[in-house]
Amino acid sequence: MNENRRQILEMLAAGKITADEAERLIAALEPGTATTVGEYSGAVNGSNVAAAAVKTRAKYLRVLVEADETMTGMKGATTVNVRVPMQLLRAGVRLASLIPAQAHEHLDEALSRHGVPLTLSQIKPENLEELIDHLEDLTVDVDGKEGNMTKVKVFCE
Amino acid sequence: MTPNIAVIRIESPHWRGFGLWIPLFLLWIPLILLSPIILLVLLGVCIGFRVSFLRTIRVCWDIVCSLPGTDVRVCADRSKVLVRVL
Repeated sequence: MNENRRQILEMLAAGKITADEAERLIAALEPGTATTVGEYSGAVNGSNVAAAAVKTRAKYLRVLVEADETMTGMKGATTVNVRVPMQLLRAGVRLASLIPAQAHEHLDEALSRHGVPLTLSQIKPENLEELIDHLEDLTVDVDGKEGNMTKVKVFCE
Repeated sequence: MTPNIAVIRIESPHWRGFGLWIPLFLLWIPLILLSPIILLVLLGVCIGFRVSFLRTIRVCWDIVCSLPGTDVRVCADRSKVLVRVL
């Protein structure tokens, strides 16, 4: 029997999850089943193992922006809907490894001048990969208030 | 997988909108024919900037291969622009 399946059944036997939750978790383990990122992470409180087992990798980073006429000065609402594959982000950060060494000093200087004390040479590609991996848990919601109807949403799907 | 088709659609209330299906796979033909020149230029640039040639090729290839799935939709001033890479 599959290890993940066994853990789910054990949790069901221990009464940690309901039969319905167990069914959904097992269904999520089936190959080809689409599962929203984090969909089940809240379903099995106290069991990180099962949550991690069924959590699928996000494929896209979605950025949604909605702004009304007062913000943009244009007629009608302005919306921006961008979907970027996570793979493209990963490939993009690998570009950092192609920055010539002589450019690092100029970039570091310019960054520190603008209040960002960052040393580019200290950033390794594996750190950037890690950063992209953690983007999967990112959700940003910005809502305007008092007449400002601008909304910004950033999330992975 | 490399991108095969790009879809560009522009709609405006002022004039008739249009949609374009650009067959990106056809770009392989001129690209393969020009590849010796492109690779030589790239090699020269890599040597000039002291960057690994093979790593540059790999990163460029990774970026091209990860383009499918990109989707940009902008709606402003009652005009719409859609760009999709399939």
